[in-house]
Amino acid sequence: MSETWMIIGGWVSAGLTIFLFSFLYKDNPFFKVAEHLYLGAGMGWWFQVYTYNILGPKVWTPLMAHDWMVLIPSILGISLVTQFFPKISWMSRYGFTFLMGYGSGLAIPAGLSTDFLNQIGGTISPFASLHTMSAFSIFNSLLVAVGVVCVLFYFFFSIEHKGSVKKISNVGIYFLMVYFGAAFGNTVMARFSLLYGRFDDLYSFSSQRYFYASQIILAAMAAYFLLHGLLGKKKDSEEAA
Amino acid sequence: MLKEKLQKFFKIDRRWIFLLLAIILFIPIIKPIGLPNKTISKDAQHAYDFMDKLPANSFVLFSLDYDPSTRPELHPQAIAVIRHAFSKNLRVGVVTYIAGATGLIGQIFEKIPQEYKKENGRDYVIFPYMANSVAVLTQMSSDLYGIYDKDQDGKDARTLPVMQGIKTYKDMALVVNITGTSMLDVWVAYVGDKYKVPVIGGVTAISQPGYGPYLQTGQLKGMLGGMKGAAEYESLIKTPGKGTSGIDALNLANLLVLVLILTSNIILLIIRYL
Repeated sequence: MSETWMIIGGWVSAGLTIFLFSFLYKDNPFFKVAEHLYLGAGMGWWFQVYTYNILGPKVWTPLMAHDWMVLIPSILGISLVTQFFPKISWMSRYGFTFLMGYGSGLAIPAGLSTDFLNQIGGTISPFASLHTMSAFSIFNSLLVAVGVVCVLFYFFFSIEHKGSVKKISNVGIYFLMVYFGAAFGNTVMARFSLLYGRFDDLYSFSSQRYFYASQIILAAMAAYFLLHGLLGKKKDSEEAA
Repeated sequence: MLKEKLQKFFKIDRRWIFLLLAIILFIPIIKPIGLPNKTISKDAQHAYDFMDKLPANSFVLFSLDYDPSTRPELHPQAIAVIRHAFSKNLRVGVVTYIAGATGLIGQIFEKIPQEYKKENGRDYVIFPYMANSVAVLTQMSSDLYGIYDKDQDGKDARTLPVMQGIKTYKDMALVVNITGTSMLDVWVAYVGDKYKVPVIGGVTAISQPGYGPYLQTGQLKGMLGGMKGAAEYESLIKTPGKGTSGIDALNLANLLVLVLILTSNIILLIIRYL
């Protein structure tokens, strides 16, 4: 990529980042522009992805090579679009039927094995080798097993939660709370990482190489808000008079 | 009197907090503080150890499934793990099922291979983006070339030196999936468990706690979580990068949140019981 395009890219990137962050101060037309541009560019991006990565190599090229087999999945795929035309929307059922059958066939055995059987095994298997484990590992395995049982009790709604069942399910709530706390803490950290990423880029675009893009756009935004605030006050005082 | 003054704290315009956070995050970018990152998590250590013990010339398949929205967390992870693979003279294959990842993969392989004198086609190969990951992963179990007959430059994949002896998952020593989506679940369920291929994951900090069960059962051999995971791996390979420099900012920002939570709770207690 040429240097000129790099600089233009830097200005666009810095500008759009600052425009979107400006919403934290208050809503403004620059934010709206960036928001609409994001939606439009996103649509355009996906259109070219589907055209050049799927439609071209997976449908058009094989058809040109007289590989007529691709017509079957293509027709099934096109049948999904008939949803938009009420008179022929029944055709979409064939596409959906195929998707449902194919998806279920792949997902159910894999899900059962990975998320169900293996997890049950993982909870129970440590108890078969307690004699080889350290005290901490035994405690850890017990904690996991107790946690699984208590949380399962919490989500078991076929019996009324009272007496000992209530006590066990209450312990389950504490296990869930620990998980939610860990998940929330990690979420905060992840959001900070993303913010750091944008700031790091803004810092890169503030260099001489990019003709101080970040500083200039930031100053322009500040000037806009200042001017907008001043004009707004003037208008208010005129209306009051 | 004191109560009224303290209650004003809860009416602070939140934009001041945004500004404070922005300043806190910006300071380490302008001037790195160098806060230590001394803790290496067990999962990151396991990931490193597994990769480190692979014999030279083993084939490692990288599935880099993240786009610019999760780049700050996952790009440093990918760079660190790929550096490690190259330093151990492992053969590297790269696939992606996220269209937005192609540019980021290009960024990595523009620079990193040169540092280790690695050549495209001989030491590593980049395959083009493919849609419908589940179908692709299933097909690859019987014949990889049924899906990837050409690399991203259009070269015949079968004839590339890096692909010699590689046809299905059983020829691969390891799969590394770095993703901001649920692709890691797909790799574990459809490849790791089914074909007994070791899988290592790199995920965003948000997703990290959800993968605990897979680590406990050994379905995942190791894992990197968020920017911290990247920093840990950079420490392990002794090559500081964006993950390490980001830790300063993360530590300060987390400290700010902690201070704000503690301050507001203390004020709340004073208001209630004073």
